Amino acid sequence: MTMNSKNKTVRGFRWQVACLIVFLFGFGFAGQGFAETLYVKKDGTKLQAADSAKSDVVATLNGGTAVQVVKKAGKFYEVTAPGGKKGWIFKFKLTAKAPAQSGGGGDVLGALGGQQKIAARESGSGSSIRGLSPISEKRAKTKGIPEENIKAVKQMESFKVSKEELDRFLKEGHLGEYGE
Amino acid sequence: MKKLFLTFAIFAIGLVWAQTSYSQFDKLFEAITKPPPKKEQAAEEPQKQDTEQPAEQNGGGGLIGLGESLGVFDKKTSKILKQSVGTLQAFQPIEYEEEKAIGGSLAVEVFNKFGGMYPNPALQEYITLVGQAVAEVSDRPDIEYHFAVLNTENPNAFATPGGYVFVSVGLLRMLQNEAQLAGVLGHEIAHITHKHALQTLQRSKRLSGLSSLTMTAMNKDAGLFDKVINEVSEVIFTRGLDKELEFEADQFGTEYAYRMGYHPRGLKDFLKILGTAESRNSSIFLSTHPGPADRYKKLSQLLEQYNASSPYQLLAVRYKSRTKGKL
Repeated sequence: MTMNSKNKTVRGFRWQVACLIVFLFGFGFAGQGFAETLYVKKDGTKLQAADSAKSDVVATLNGGTAVQVVKKAGKFYEVTAPGGKKGWIFKFKLTAKAPAQSGGGGDVLGALGGQQKIAARESGSGSSIRGLSPISEKRAKTKGIPEENIKAVKQMESFKVSKEELDRFLKEGHLGEYGE
Repeated sequence: MKKLFLTFAIFAIGLVWAQTSYSQFDKLFEAITKPPPKKEQAAEEPQKQDTEQPAEQNGGGGLIGLGESLGVFDKKTSKILKQSVGTLQAFQPIEYEEEKAIGGSLAVEVFNKFGGMYPNPALQEYITLVGQAVAEVSDRPDIEYHFAVLNTENPNAFATPGGYVFVSVGLLRMLQNEAQLAGVLGHEIAHITHKHALQTLQRSKRLSGLSSLTMTAMNKDAGLFDKVINEVSEVIFTRGLDKELEFEADQFGTEYAYRMGYHPRGLKDFLKILGTAESRNSSIFLSTHPGPADRYKKLSQLLEQYNASSPYQLLAVRYKSRTKGKL
């Protein structure tokens, strides 16, 4: 083998290694770009430090927040929240459905897509649409339905359990994120 | 230069290949890590089960009618245009505010027709905790749900649009564990998450011709609101929903209970108990629904997809202790 052909072989080998590195770099780049995106279903969803309901709460997320799935482990997904904060969320508190844009009520496209997305208007427990509607109360009175039944609906609407109480209930029953 | 070009080409190939490979890896990862009953994804994207066509609009001619009389459209074109407009109008979704008004009115009707409120706050708290837990993992956890116990011995359960869920004290007496309660509440919650009553209302031929049910329109015309409530009342309390919608509620109710960690057989077990109970004939839960044997069979098939060996909770002891002395 001449000196010249030896140099060609070495250069060819280097070239192959360089190509491999570039190829792998492209592969990794794509992996970053195509991570699965899911959306938080409800306001106040806990982002936790580990895949356990007993771990620290890193942040609470609002309904509709888009998160990137990093890892899936049992009932928890490790996600990256907007701003880069990482943590774990109970998987059934996430959905693949993107939240609907507000104001989509009456148009045709909104109508056709209306049942597939979480309507922005009803999203969040802070909805202003609360209590028995005046039109419902008026109808009941017009129909002569006894007042106690109207009061019963109002009582039902005002009866609440706190987040802490629900959390204790789940923990005690080994349910939800407290399940094995 | 040539090498630079080749480098970019390889980078691009790597990028494209990686994109397809990652999706494959993801599927493989899902298959490995998913619990055996990989039902959740299917449940997240349910098949739409429209068994009826939207009500045909028979209303006046409007611009299309004018076009027809002026000779702009022939009769056939005019008919097609009217049907298209009618279909689009029937598709208009009922917004949450209207849904809540309709559901609130029906909730008053439920108390009026089925014994009123069962006066036990501790029992209501327990039902609310189970119901809220199931609703949290449903496909519509972002609305407020309200739960109440009805003071009637007849074994009944209802849901009205907007988040109102009822279960009778008679039904609670028949249950053996919390998983059964979660299954029953899950069924009712599924009617709300999938807007079954509203879907039926929008397809109602009796209300054909209405372009939309807005609060403005209903406030303006008390007769219209009354007509709407009467129509949904008849569906919920007398005629019953389409049986496919009931099967769908069984399927999703079971799924929601399972997501929360309850044993998915809860609803199926309850149907068996109810199907053999003496009081079954007085149950709206049976009379307005498909036969319990059909529902039981379909649920049995569904349950085959769930992993029976997982540590699902029945919580019979907690059910007994939480309801002791209250039923």
